[in-house]
Amino acid sequence: MAKKITIDPVTRIEGHLKIEVEIENGKVKNAWSSGTMARGFEALLTGKDPRDASYVTSRFCGVCYSVHQLASSRALDAAFGAKVPWGGNLIRNLVMGAEYIYDHPLHFYQLSALDYIDIMAIADYKGNDKDLLAVKDKIVSLVKAKDTYPLTPRYEPDEFTVKDPDIVISAVSHYLKALKMHAKARNMGAIWGGRTPHYQNIVVGGVTSFPDINQVARFRSMLDEQAKFISEIYIPDVLAFGTGPLWPLAQMGIGGGHHNYMSYGDFQLDKDGKKLLFPAGVMKGLNPADIKIDTVIPERITESVKYAWYKENKPVHPYNGEQIFNLDKKNAYSFVKAPRYEGTAMEVGPLARMIIAKNSDILALVEKGAKPGAVARHAARAIETKMVVDACYHWLDQLQTEMTKPGFKIHDTEHWDPPSSGMGAGFSEPPRGALGHWIRIRDKKIENYQAVVPSTWNASPRCDNGVRGQYEESLIGAPVPDPKNPVNVVRIIRSFDPCLACAIHVIDPQDNQIRKFIIE
Amino acid sequence: MKGEKILNDGLMNIFEAHGINRRDFLKYCAATAALFGLSEFEFSSKLAYALESGSKKPSVMWLEGLACAGCTISLTQSLHPPVSSIILDKISLRQHDTIMAAAGHMVEEIHDQTVKEGGYILIVEGAIPSADDRFCEIGGRPFRKIVEEAARKSKAVLAVGACGAFGGIPRATPSKGISVTESLKKAKIDKPVINISTCPVHTDHLVGTILYVLVTGNIPELDSNGRPAMYFGDSRLIHDNCRRRAHFDAGEFLNDWNDPRQKDWCLLQKGCKGPMSHSDCSIRRWNDGINFCIDCGGVCQACGEPSFYEHVTPLYTVESESSKKIMAMKKAGMFTKEES
Ligand code: SF4
Ligand code: SF4
Repeated sequence: MAKKITIDPVTRIEGHLKIEVEIENGKVKNAWSSGTMARGFEALLTGKDPRDASYVTSRFCGVCYSVHQLASSRALDAAFGAKVPWGGNLIRNLVMGAEYIYDHPLHFYQLSALDYIDIMAIADYKGNDKDLLAVKDKIVSLVKAKDTYPLTPRYEPDEFTVKDPDIVISAVSHYLKALKMHAKARNMGAIWGGRTPHYQNIVVGGVTSFPDINQVARFRSMLDEQAKFISEIYIPDVLAFGTGPLWPLAQMGIGGGHHNYMSYGDFQLDKDGKKLLFPAGVMKGLNPADIKIDTVIPERITESVKYAWYKENKPVHPYNGEQIFNLDKKNAYSFVKAPRYEGTAMEVGPLARMIIAKNSDILALVEKGAKPGAVARHAARAIETKMVVDACYHWLDQLQTEMTKPGFKIHDTEHWDPPSSGMGAGFSEPPRGALGHWIRIRDKKIENYQAVVPSTWNASPRCDNGVRGQYEESLIGAPVPDPKNPVNVVRIIRSFDPCLACAIHVIDPQDNQIRKFIIE
Repeated sequence: MKGEKILNDGLMNIFEAHGINRRDFLKYCAATAALFGLSEFEFSSKLAYALESGSKKPSVMWLEGLACAGCTISLTQSLHPPVSSIILDKISLRQHDTIMAAAGHMVEEIHDQTVKEGGYILIVEGAIPSADDRFCEIGGRPFRKIVEEAARKSKAVLAVGACGAFGGIPRATPSKGISVTESLKKAKIDKPVINISTCPVHTDHLVGTILYVLVTGNIPELDSNGRPAMYFGDSRLIHDNCRRRAHFDAGEFLNDWNDPRQKDWCLLQKGCKGPMSHSDCSIRRWNDGINFCIDCGGVCQACGEPSFYEHVTPLYTVESESSKKIMAMKKAGMFTKEES
């Protein structure tokens, strides 16, 4: 007999998510993913000064705000006809680079690690490393005081849980260290962003922060500290876990899902944006021996609202969507809409990016027998964090050179005032995956604003064709021997780094015309 | 040093395990004590006492509603003291959905148990939907109800960020977000609420207020908008402490971000609302003092004021209600600086 269980709230994610699974013979047979909170940001933007958009949409998410500011500013750049000077682009790259540097390790240590280690094994640590003993004392004193919040309660450790006291204690000490590195990495972005969360410096036409040499030096020395942490602690930890205790999970490929991947590409490496650090592409059905990547054609994106709490409508392109809340709709179970590419559900995010980039480290892991899934997602994050760190050094050097040139520019002042009409799309690749913002301007005001964010792709419910979203599909077949302890379910869901506040922002259009836009 | 004697080695080891050395810690005590109007000795002894008095740490419950998690991230950005020492040593963090190990029904159990015990500090991040309860549900229950029930049994309520304190951006959306104060008032729940606004909450404001409540057992002095006077209040006008102020007075307004000559000019024409905005950002700055909105050439959008966001839009021109008020005040000579 199938048994249905509900996990609500799914914790250690951003936003409010409910997961329901049906379990039969110790395996997940069916799954439903629901976003249970909505604000309605796009409705708010209708009628506003277009320049408000980059500020307001940064509040889609307090974890990855710069990416919305960036995608939004790019949509505005296109609609205003603004050309961002190279200096402005370099600073945009650097603040967004800082975002990768704090976000990925935070996800691994703070949001995911507790799913894989038995924190109480620390009590059995027999070594005499002074730092680790301090960590042991700490945990033991919490246990003695009978107050181990927020580290417990938790799902019971299972056969895949790491219980070796030496590994666990070093993971916990890195957990504490990572928290500190996280705060410091945020400070990096503040050098040009003004503050974090919610930078203030990315606007249409470029950035507002005219750099000076001290800031470049400061960013560089902070980057040095992060680079050391990433290559000496974060990457070795991910590799040690992924190819060690978690290797069986990697081989099982739990959390694989549809195996369709998409990336819009990001981080401009040259002035006209032809060369990107992360390439764009789309791929349906993984065949590691023969990876075929197609160009992304954004016109092929549609969103279905059949199972979402919006007024009934056919699947339509985001530019064309009518999204009016209907909280009473029968069969609906989420505020998240269901975006599809040519009718197919896609995975977006680090694994998609690294597969589309044909990254040799990820392909080597696959060759060794790891199937793309939850564990591979952690590996992909570590790999790309390193790529971003290396690129940041390069951008700093370039910025330093640019700054000394006469006529150095960071902003397109000619295109600051809103055009009387215009439209544009802006794309970026935040840590969580493909992000698109679309804007239409009429009478210098926002006529329509749309965003399709990474977690909308991954966390979507079923679409008109009944195709499950990526979270839902990735749960199918996951082992859950004890329905009271669905630890594999949360492992899989968290491997995507869900961001639900982002996924649900929605609303209101007025225009039903399909417009064209280009991705470049 | 006086403070040092109070801290036994066991306690210092805990701090050191989190990477704060003795000197940093004492420096931190001195700074915080000054802020609280306590002597350094009194502060560190109270803190030491609060940390060491038996096994019972004060319990804290953090709930998130119509929010973006930006205020949670502000909490995790605390370096002095490090967030791990706050969470593990200073408080018993019963519920915080973004941090806790538990999930699903376990969260509900902890929640119910904590409410039953009562006497915790309740922190609410985000606004509460007033258009329809279904705009925010957790565990199948309306967020509004969860907050009401938790507030009734709490010792103190902290409404954090622009959203929790005043409704913030969600106020202008179809979910019609309202502040914690408004929501509790509607439900006729009489609990004092400390508003720690700005979008998001400032790390120091948040951590400082939590520590203040824990160490003194009291609610800090509040300004007329229910915000801690030590961070907000009449005397903490962004504009008065802005390093572009001389250019404001001289009528020099930035209009080109590329021009190095204009780099420090006043941002009024780009929509700066510093002249009506109360917070200590321009002195304290953000992220360990690295920078803040105005010094990166961005503008102050008065994100700590009740008028944010509805009355400060459009953000980047002088056309908003707020900017019009500022311009009128300027015309009336209200910002004329006395010669000194
Ligand atoms: S208007 Fe803004 S930028 Fe100008 S002096 Fe006042 S606070 Fe500073
Ligand atoms: S300077 Fe103004 S906009 Fe920036 S955080 Fe402070 S109050 Fe908010």
